Amino acid sequence: MLFKTKPMWGRQTGLKSSYDVVIIGGGLHSLATAYFLARDYGITDVAVIEKNYIGFGGAGRNTAIVRANQRTSQNVPLYKEALDLWPVLTRELDYNLMFNNCGNLNLMHSEAAMKAARMNIATAQFHGVESHLIDAREAKEMVPALNISEDITFPIHGAMYHPPGGVLRHDAVVWGLARGAARKGVEIHQQTEALGIGTQNGKVTSVTTNRGEIQAKQVLVSAGGYSAALIHGFLGIKLPISVLTIQAMVTQPLKPLLNHVVSSGAYHAYANQTLKGEIATGAHMDPWPNYTTLNTAYYIKHQAEALSEFLPCLRGVRFMRIWGGLADMTPDMAPIMDGNNQIEGFFMDCGWGYFGFKSCSAVGKYMAEFIATNTCPDMLKPFALQRYQEHRLMGETAALVSYSPDN
Amino acid sequence: MMNRFDHLPTLKIDGNTKIPFEYKGKEYFGVQGDTVATALYANGVRMFARSLKYHRPRGLYSLDGECSNTLMEVDGIPNVRTENTLLKSGMVIKEQNVKGSAAYDLLGFLDKLDWAMPAGFYYHTMHKPAMIWPLAMRQIRKAAGIGKLAPDFQMPGTYDEIYPTADVCVLGGGPAGMSAALAAAEQGLRVILMEARPWLGGHFDYRTAAYKDGQTLHDRAAQLAGEVEKADNIRVFTHTSMVGAYNNNLITGFQIGQDADPFDERYFEIRATAVVVATGCIERALIFDNNERPGVMQANCALRLANTYGLLPGSKAIFSVGHDLGLEAALTLHDLGLAVACIADVREDGQDEGLLTALRERGITVIRGWVAARAHGKQVKKATLTSIDGTATQTLDCDLLVASAGLTPVTGALTVAQAKLRYDNHTGYFLPTELPANMHAAGRMLGLDSGPAIEASGRQAGLQAARDCGTDVDAAIRAVRTEREHLSGPARGTKFVTAPVKGRKSFICFDEDTTIKNVKQAIDKGFDVPELIKRFSGAGLGPGQGGIPGHNLPLYTAKYQALSDITIRPTTVRPPLVPTRIATYAGAQHTMFKQTPMDAMQRRDGGIFRNIGVWQRARYFSEDFTCQAEIENVRKNAGMLDGSTLGKFRIHGPDALKALQRVYVSDMAKVKAGRVKYSAMCNDDGCVIDDGVVVKLADNDYYLTTSTARAGQTVEWVRYHTRYDGWDFALVNLTDSLGVINLSGPNAREVLAKVVDIEVTNEAFGFAEYKEFKIREAIPVRAMRLGFVGELSYELHVPSSYMQSVWIMLKEAGKEFTIRNFGVEAQNVLRMEKGHIILGQESEQRTNLLDVGLGFLWDRHNAAAKKVGAVALRQAESDPSRLKLVGFKMENNGRAPRDGAVIVDQAIRGYVCTARDSFTLKEAVGMALVDADLAKVGTRLAFFEDECDGKLIYGEVVKMPFYDPKGKRMKM
Repeated sequence: MLFKTKPMWGRQTGLKSSYDVVIIGGGLHSLATAYFLARDYGITDVAVIEKNYIGFGGAGRNTAIVRANQRTSQNVPLYKEALDLWPVLTRELDYNLMFNNCGNLNLMHSEAAMKAARMNIATAQFHGVESHLIDAREAKEMVPALNISEDITFPIHGAMYHPPGGVLRHDAVVWGLARGAARKGVEIHQQTEALGIGTQNGKVTSVTTNRGEIQAKQVLVSAGGYSAALIHGFLGIKLPISVLTIQAMVTQPLKPLLNHVVSSGAYHAYANQTLKGEIATGAHMDPWPNYTTLNTAYYIKHQAEALSEFLPCLRGVRFMRIWGGLADMTPDMAPIMDGNNQIEGFFMDCGWGYFGFKSCSAVGKYMAEFIATNTCPDMLKPFALQRYQEHRLMGETAALVSYSPDN
Repeated sequence: MMNRFDHLPTLKIDGNTKIPFEYKGKEYFGVQGDTVATALYANGVRMFARSLKYHRPRGLYSLDGECSNTLMEVDGIPNVRTENTLLKSGMVIKEQNVKGSAAYDLLGFLDKLDWAMPAGFYYHTMHKPAMIWPLAMRQIRKAAGIGKLAPDFQMPGTYDEIYPTADVCVLGGGPAGMSAALAAAEQGLRVILMEARPWLGGHFDYRTAAYKDGQTLHDRAAQLAGEVEKADNIRVFTHTSMVGAYNNNLITGFQIGQDADPFDERYFEIRATAVVVATGCIERALIFDNNERPGVMQANCALRLANTYGLLPGSKAIFSVGHDLGLEAALTLHDLGLAVACIADVREDGQDEGLLTALRERGITVIRGWVAARAHGKQVKKATLTSIDGTATQTLDCDLLVASAGLTPVTGALTVAQAKLRYDNHTGYFLPTELPANMHAAGRMLGLDSGPAIEASGRQAGLQAARDCGTDVDAAIRAVRTEREHLSGPARGTKFVTAPVKGRKSFICFDEDTTIKNVKQAIDKGFDVPELIKRFSGAGLGPGQGGIPGHNLPLYTAKYQALSDITIRPTTVRPPLVPTRIATYAGAQHTMFKQTPMDAMQRRDGGIFRNIGVWQRARYFSEDFTCQAEIENVRKNAGMLDGSTLGKFRIHGPDALKALQRVYVSDMAKVKAGRVKYSAMCNDDGCVIDDGVVVKLADNDYYLTTSTARAGQTVEWVRYHTRYDGWDFALVNLTDSLGVINLSGPNAREVLAKVVDIEVTNEAFGFAEYKEFKIREAIPVRAMRLGFVGELSYELHVPSSYMQSVWIMLKEAGKEFTIRNFGVEAQNVLRMEKGHIILGQESEQRTNLLDVGLGFLWDRHNAAAKKVGAVALRQAESDPSRLKLVGFKMENNGRAPRDGAVIVDQAIRGYVCTARDSFTLKEAVGMALVDADLAKVGTRLAFFEDECDGKLIYGEVVKMPFYDPKGKRMKM
């Protein structure tokens, strides 16, 4: 056999009574932060604690699309760095993250959408990120399966083409980061549930788990969709986060058909072909706050209706699996990254909605810097919780979002 | 072509009706009732496909479509499960994913390279050096995938959808399901019975063993099916697979249309008060070396080939089974002429004595505690059997190896409905411990194996479902319970998974070519729960999902890790339980847009329409998308715009004013009768969400308009923000009942005067005034003098049914001025020249009332009203970091920047909302949102457009409005 078999993230060990840093949540942001804490700052006395198994939550439920064509200048550089880190991580972790740099095609279905795309593209180009506005015919040349006729519900006017984007294998990122962090000495404790965060005089002192109490002066909560509830439950800090179910699905595998990620805001649908040949598709959220990952009947039907229109050849293929995950949505569709603010030693990295995967590499790096130096890096400063208290939304979404009537 | 039985009572074929089809370019014949795969089998085809990874030959294995072994291209449609797709005349069948043919595949050598491809090998390879990955990826993509779809493929057929309701929905038309349906129907309830196969009967249907009192199982099935058909209140849907179950018993599925049906496939969504799940069992795959070779098949597959399709599956068979049904199949098939070399039964004891005696009488050896260890040959020629401790072996010739470890319940319907299952040590099944409300399970899936017990359990479930529907059936349920005490309970099942072999070629998942060895590798790497093993090794992620590995994987994982029974956890089953076509899910595909009363007339007038929100609106009236002619006509003459999509509401009742004070930023007490008041609504962040006008009809009785986009949410919004106040008011959405005509331009008054009887002079009907009158003493009109486009302008609100009439009258009246339509884009330019904003265009989610320069609307002193957004606005007043809306002109009379261009210095400082080369002003003007420190008049703005290569264009902040700053024209 070519490959030695040993547990990828170390043998299961007991939980120690104290760590320098405890990270709650065993998803991508946690594992990346742990990895960079060890890599860049030599901080290895770190425990990542996960209630289920690593990659159980959003990390294993997303469709692994990456891109850096965000809307605002606070966000574009962060996502650009995240994109740039994939080849670096592949090399460092010595794990094939299977970055398929296929480029993303974001379809535009109206004059207003073309204007919005132009702003995104100008912003991207100003920041040195490649992105272009193309017309419907050019889009059709890139994706021959596209229906650019006028007689569909949302005729295609053009597209935002973003060559540096693509798709990774999400599980590979989870496992690669876990292995990389574990090799540097980070402990990953699965089936370990955080039950509380202890504080004294405004400082973090400990984390209570179902396997005992851990002393720690620094704690990061980056538990995806569960972060807001944990932070409120543990520390009483209310976050402006609505948690919604988002679903995705795959078809049976086909020979190469789609060579780019194709997405459409108007149809609420994206589609890309995995390396295995499945068409992975999904997009919008169920429009009500909901902590379940249950599927809904209308969703898969909606998806079929949407794909039938703009990628009609897919009518001949079968869906074989649909699943749900959580999207923790903030009012401005930008995340909350904060630390040492509400409570000394308490850090949070949440509110990513459905952008958690594409950002994890860069955010891990900067959250690690934040924790290690106790100083917020410039890159993360705009993402503090404070902005909501000052009614200064970030502008990652142009449209009003409404998850509940109070929004 | 093989000979067919023609005398068996169980047959579903008509051997006399030949069906021609094409396979690999040649014509063959099947018979009426064949599936594609059975027709091919009858023509001697044994290798149907090649596996995904190793290109191993694959054949007919189960007949129920749990694996991809018989996926083929049929009539150009990829990945058709030929084993349960009925053969139709003229079908064209092709093989998929082979270089050569399924029998001789040039890629077959990959099977020898398995040593280089352990579980998850791709994570460890092909990334060093980085440059090889893109090349490797291209090859992986080419190799992966089953079936081809051309980009211009058009799925043929008609697709329908149906949303029936029922009191009781029964899933599964076997003996338990039919019994449940009959029991519920006897209570007078409306019952739906869904069955995936073309006929009712389940496992009774193809079995000729005794039911009781001399009746065969097959005859009993026919009897029950007859009773079901006679019951008027049972709707039977055969050919109908259930694919999903959701909250509150919403069941989805699809039906395959038959010749007489007007659809090819039909999507189902059934809302039922109660659901009975009686989906029975399938066989659990037996794992040994080469356990998926053509020639290896499950017991019921072999039995059904003979009894249902009249085909003897082989000539000399070895059986390796773990349950009595396997023995029964051997017995039946022997009596039909199959030579049975021997039967290896993994069970040391516990076999049905009657079956053993019957087999002994026929000279068939049953070796207990033995199992198949290896199948030999590309297509089975020999099989090695072994004692289950691996100490003794013998190899025998055969052309058929019937292999089946045991049975496994089809629990998908339960798990997708969120039932909790637990591993049961006696049956070896995952059995339901907690079922969702109003859902019941029955029959063989609970471990029952005697016919009467299965039926009784079905009756009990049917009665329980009837009780959920409110019928009084307690006595009947007690009676069935008593009856069941005398019937046999769940049978003991085997937990045997794999023969004592190393497992390098022992496949736990056929679709993904996952072997036992791969599973061990995954576990050793730390993937210690079935769900993770599945992700790492791919087992259960293929076209057939968990059909083959679903039960074996947790059993094997527990065994390998020496876990106790209680910790055997199933993998997650996800919908659709049967792979379902996108065309089928899409169904009838209705397009739903709202059309204004003027829709048809505007289209006749050459309107070019766009979908805007829920509406379709005319955006242009010529191919000139700059709309020069439309714009100039409004500025110089008179134009008409269909504004019917505007939100329109009436609010009245004792607390109507209070409600308006809450949601509008202005002091609504100042709205005077006969006057039009423009105001805006904010959200709690102070961001403008809506603007419109309010008219006072009487005390506490107002008429108001909202933007098109907000019409749908306004009632909810007002109710939400007054929810704690207990105020008494009624709010009525009149959006669809009234249309709106915007008549604008210097000649608008002359045109209107010819149609209406009221005085329309500036003195009698001045700017910002409101009038109600009737046209021709019949058509009630609400008219406002507004100036959105910056000209003399009347907005006429007319009952939708009269819209076309009024429009025609105005058009006639305007003929002498050559009045013409204008569309949404012309309006967009006109109002921009006037400096009027459109929310969503000059604002975005984060833009507040002050940012867009509408702060003058805000009644900041009325704290008692608790205006929505007031707190945020107060805070924002002293915040210098916000974007502000400004007007700008271009330097040196340059062209307008494109909408969406960003405004930059060292950083991005804002962006262009709307900018146009104005025909009216003969220069480029626009509006932009910029950082507050750039908002001062005279500030130079640098515009960075997409693809500008760093070449900026420049403009300067100027005062707005650009056009007619004093507002003389709209007030004339």
